[in-house]
Amino acid sequence: MNNLFIAASPTSPEVDFRFDERRLSLKGESYPENAAQFWGNIITALRQFLEADAEVAAITVNVALAYFNSSSTKMLFSLFSTLNDKAKAGTEIILNWYHDESDDTIFEFGQELKEDFADLVFQDQAVQS
Amino acid sequence: METNGIKRQWDDFYSYVERRDVIFYYVGYFSQSIIAAMADAVKLRVEHVGAVAQTRRKLFSSFIEIAQNIVHYSADSYRKEGDTAPAIRHGAVFISLTDERYYLHCANPVDAEVAGTLRAKLEHLRSLTMDEIKSEYKETLRSETPADSKGAGLGFLTMARDASAPLEFEFSPPTADGTSMFYLRATI
Repeated sequence: MNNLFIAASPTSPEVDFRFDERRLSLKGESYPENAAQFWGNIITALRQFLEADAEVAAITVNVALAYFNSSSTKMLFSLFSTLNDKAKAGTEIILNWYHDESDDTIFEFGQELKEDFADLVFQDQAVQS
Repeated sequence: METNGIKRQWDDFYSYVERRDVIFYYVGYFSQSIIAAMADAVKLRVEHVGAVAQTRRKLFSSFIEIAQNIVHYSADSYRKEGDTAPAIRHGAVFISLTDERYYLHCANPVDAEVAGTLRAKLEHLRSLTMDEIKSEYKETLRSETPADSKGAGLGFLTMARDASAPLEFEFSPPTADGTSMFYLRATI
């Protein structure tokens, strides 16, 4: 499975999914014109990897999104749901949730993820501004 | 030095803008690239006027939701012939700062059907407490996307959650073709 890299644009984040290293990263801001399409393609690639993946080693997911609009929020929820299914099936998945220490909105969204996707090893990572 | 009225014109304009506490104003077409450029300008502007980080984030978030709403729903669209790119839509937005409160205003034309949907959504949101808004937000996040929504049905909920007062709105009486102006004001 090829790695997936999408460079950041003014309205979309950098996507750096190194499937071979079992390390997936998202960084930047997300308010693309068509969030369903942007994130839909990423989720499809992720599903393909997870379905074919037979290794037992843990997968690390690093998310450092400084802003995401409402339609991206919905798609992110679906992305984490996909990861949670894999974790439920036995693969350890560590989610590092980075946010500015004063950003309540992103912190709270992380708490929603932690609540709904209990099979992920959720690690809140507050960053000093 | 002889004057040709240019400075006078600017003075009139500036004094009006100042009297109405306007810190950012745009009227014209909205497209994704225009929104991206404005987003930068809004970020810098609210930093310049000294808003605290959390207020800046809420203003930015509401601004993006409002601007993308205009792209999705404005009845006044413009498309070059043979153009396959998405239509760009007409609207207006301004941000004002009065007594340390920020107000985000937008106006765009909508057709009768959209007006009905917007009115129902906003009236419902206005009837909710902040706790109810938060729980409806959580519910919507976990539900299927409604068919009438190009976003995720979360846009107004996101704005209502970030606002410090209920969202306010108004419609102008419809014109002959059924279009009316939709005005929205969010207090941050």
